Amino acid sequence: MVTQIIAGLKNFFVFNSSLSTSEGDELEKILYYYPISDNTDVQIKNVGLVEGIIHFTETFRPSSSVSSVHTEKSRQLYYQPEKGYWMVMTIQLNHITKEKLEGDSGELGDDVQDNVYEAVLKQAYHMYRLFWGTFQGTKDTDTLKMTLEIFYRAYLQSLKLVNADILNIFSGIQYLPLDKQTFLKVQCFINSLESNYMMISHSAFLYNDYLIWSGIEPSDMQLVYHYLIDTLLPANIETELQGGSMPRNSPSPFAALRHGRFITGPSNLRLAKTVGKVPKVFFYGEQKPEEYYLVVYRALSATVCLFVKVETELTLNIFKDLDDFISPKLISLVSDIAEYCSKQVITPNMADNSPRFIYFNKMNLAYKSTVHLDNKQSGNVACMKDSVRIMADMKLNNSYLGSSGETIVKTMSDYWVVGKTSNAREFYIALQQKNASLIDISEEVRKLCETELKGIFFHST
Amino acid sequence: MANIEIEPGAAHESVLVTTESFGEMTSSLEEIKCSSSSVSSHLEECNNDNNIIEQFEDTVSFVGDNNTDGEEAQELQKEWLGKEKHVFVLSFAGKPIYSRYGNEDKLAWLFGVMQTLVSFVQSNDDCIQSIHAGDTHFVFLIRKPLILVAVSKTQESYHQLTAQLNYVFNQITSTLTLTRLNKIYEQRQNYDLRRLLSGVERLIDHLLDFFEREPSFSLGAVQCLPLSPSVRDTISSSIVGSCSKIKNLVFAILLANNKLITLVRMKKYCLHPADLHLIFNLVQASESLKNSESWTPLCLPKFDSSGFLYGHVSYLAEDCQACLLLLTVERDVFFTLSDAKQHVVEKLRRANCLEAINESLNSSEVKCASAGFPEIRHYLYKCKSTAQFHQPSLSPLYAESKVHLINIYKRVHYRLHGPARPLKLVFERNSEEALLAWDTKGFELYVVFEPLIDTSFAINSVGRLLNWIKKREDKLFHLNAPTF
Repeated sequence: MVTQIIAGLKNFFVFNSSLSTSEGDELEKILYYYPISDNTDVQIKNVGLVEGIIHFTETFRPSSSVSSVHTEKSRQLYYQPEKGYWMVMTIQLNHITKEKLEGDSGELGDDVQDNVYEAVLKQAYHMYRLFWGTFQGTKDTDTLKMTLEIFYRAYLQSLKLVNADILNIFSGIQYLPLDKQTFLKVQCFINSLESNYMMISHSAFLYNDYLIWSGIEPSDMQLVYHYLIDTLLPANIETELQGGSMPRNSPSPFAALRHGRFITGPSNLRLAKTVGKVPKVFFYGEQKPEEYYLVVYRALSATVCLFVKVETELTLNIFKDLDDFISPKLISLVSDIAEYCSKQVITPNMADNSPRFIYFNKMNLAYKSTVHLDNKQSGNVACMKDSVRIMADMKLNNSYLGSSGETIVKTMSDYWVVGKTSNAREFYIALQQKNASLIDISEEVRKLCETELKGIFFHST
Repeated sequence: MANIEIEPGAAHESVLVTTESFGEMTSSLEEIKCSSSSVSSHLEECNNDNNIIEQFEDTVSFVGDNNTDGEEAQELQKEWLGKEKHVFVLSFAGKPIYSRYGNEDKLAWLFGVMQTLVSFVQSNDDCIQSIHAGDTHFVFLIRKPLILVAVSKTQESYHQLTAQLNYVFNQITSTLTLTRLNKIYEQRQNYDLRRLLSGVERLIDHLLDFFEREPSFSLGAVQCLPLSPSVRDTISSSIVGSCSKIKNLVFAILLANNKLITLVRMKKYCLHPADLHLIFNLVQASESLKNSESWTPLCLPKFDSSGFLYGHVSYLAEDCQACLLLLTVERDVFFTLSDAKQHVVEKLRRANCLEAINESLNSSEVKCASAGFPEIRHYLYKCKSTAQFHQPSLSPLYAESKVHLINIYKRVHYRLHGPARPLKLVFERNSEEALLAWDTKGFELYVVFEPLIDTSFAINSVGRLLNWIKKREDKLFHLNAPTF
């Protein structure tokens, strides 16, 4: 049996054919190209092949434009986010021949799943657009080339190709379910904040990696959420742990912890002389695109995102004022949330062989996973990796199921994987018990649905 | 699922090779022939049905961004674009050889593009496999000295499309032999192969249509005509009796209505299902065979891709439309085989076997509902050890939409046998039906249930179904593997 192993990112480029009008200036149409070690001839050749493939496929009027090209040694993903602008990502593959797998040890290679890596490429575009706006909207080509360079140089470094899986397709948000009382407190806090500071158009509230409240469209929140969880917060938690932001000469070291701080903007209000770096973000969920400053404030385990109108002149005083307003309220709010959470035994220590599941709701982009042991896309999963890949296969097959359906499969190593869909909801379960029968499995799944998805209607038994 | 030990249709010895590899078999014609004779390239010309296709080709204009003059041309272009599955064959030099729809010459530019794509990727020491664009899949198969391309909107997987292209390639080698094909291009890279393939286009057309209707290709198996075991044995022994004296007769195949009646073989040699499918295709596609005895060279690529077998092909009698093929390595024994065939027919007539065959041909298979399985709409059962399968006749629900049913089977077959993550069992319930696909050591079973069936009832039903097939196995399957 031959399996594919991802050997890394071979290239990644953005081009627009209409930017080159005559022979000899082909380089003009290439807006960004990675790696720089490919000389211009190679770049032009690779872009030329992609253009040829696009033209060839268009001859047959496909329902949508080309999305992937498979060759023996690579996998190429295509995405045309804006008319004429193409993004291409090529993954280098190695092939290894494995002896026929036996029993438990059965883990196949990476096997590049198109739907997973198409999602990775789309995310790469949407993240860019979140911070820099559309390609078309950029002032001129040179500016576009520069911003692409700035953004992707860093972004591609952080790309985790090997561990990409079905969660990349969902790119979902984890919500924290609260009781009415606590949730109302959060809402009161948000309302008083927004009504006291008219410059704040919208806001969002997170506790650890969970979203509690968001005032923006889910499709926009999804991106901000992933930026916070994947990039911004982990970097800051590291500095917190190193004690970098903690004033060492303060009377009590706990005083600092009892106080929040800005993660974007001035990080230390007492010492800051300028407002520091405040990123702008572009939202496209509403009818017309909107632009905001993204101000992130963090205290204890809570993160507050403020989407501030771009006309606002951000001064140090505004930040100080905000800090005085938010800090005391937030500290008490966080302790309420923490108290509520401590009362809830959210997930009892799961036995190794208990069923693991992933739930996703397309309407609010909410997901929950007991398959993944962390949020870091580290490949740290609690079931067979193949089971997670089978879930992505099932996702691909969902179009055949109609509005609701169910699939139960038994793997070569005798594990079971179940997928259920109903309207916009998807539920995937990896069951680790061997020697179970199909009837046992459907009973097990029914029980799991009752405990985990109480009140969510799933058609069929 | 309960362990079900029964394995209906299993036999110790099989008439068919049951390996699933696409590799060549190791049989050698030289081994059979005592003295080697040079391979002749005589081709049987059977152009009877070509007229319609030619007319179509004459009028169809090619598709592209120029050359579209007039409304008629645009209409035809639309028609060409509306086709669900295109198949193209070209040489390494980019010369058009075959296009399923349209005239190859007018599509020459397209063949050129495909050749360029292939060679461009090859120049990077890589090999293009497929391109995916929404509902359209482009699959490339490079089998020296040819390039085969499928452009499909049928939702079939890469592997299913590659398998079809392999069949097309085999159909071409079946008329030329691989050895000759290679030699032609060694001598002249720019050779226009169409000169040697007149008449073959029709076989390829038919093969591709066949693929869309028949489950046998994806299963890698053949279906047998149901006959009581005593009748089948009598037929086999009549063939053996009449032919055993003939030197170098390799296979005798009797088939009717795309189903196998019997296959008698030379000791040591087996037939691969893929080769048998080509034979089925040849018989199905050639109306002219019905009128007279024919003598045709035939290369069976899995058996031996380097040389020809020679086939005496004829229908048994006016009143029995079963086709008998006698395949030999001798080039000039037409009359010997013709005599043998007459003997076979006489024996079968005396033993009332012709009537039995007709009776089976005229009676349709039992429907699931009348066999006591109202919850089952349709099923496919494949016995792995004999490479044979069985299916009931279509329920009214699918009688009108056979392609829909075949597509369901193709889809679950792929999920079960997907090369990256093969599975042992798939149970799927969607809004239209419930499906079970089950792969065990001995058999594969695909069942289409009513959508609202209870899971445990479905399992129960599968157990009963297997027992039911087991009871009828000696009628449904060809369990002996007779030899000359």
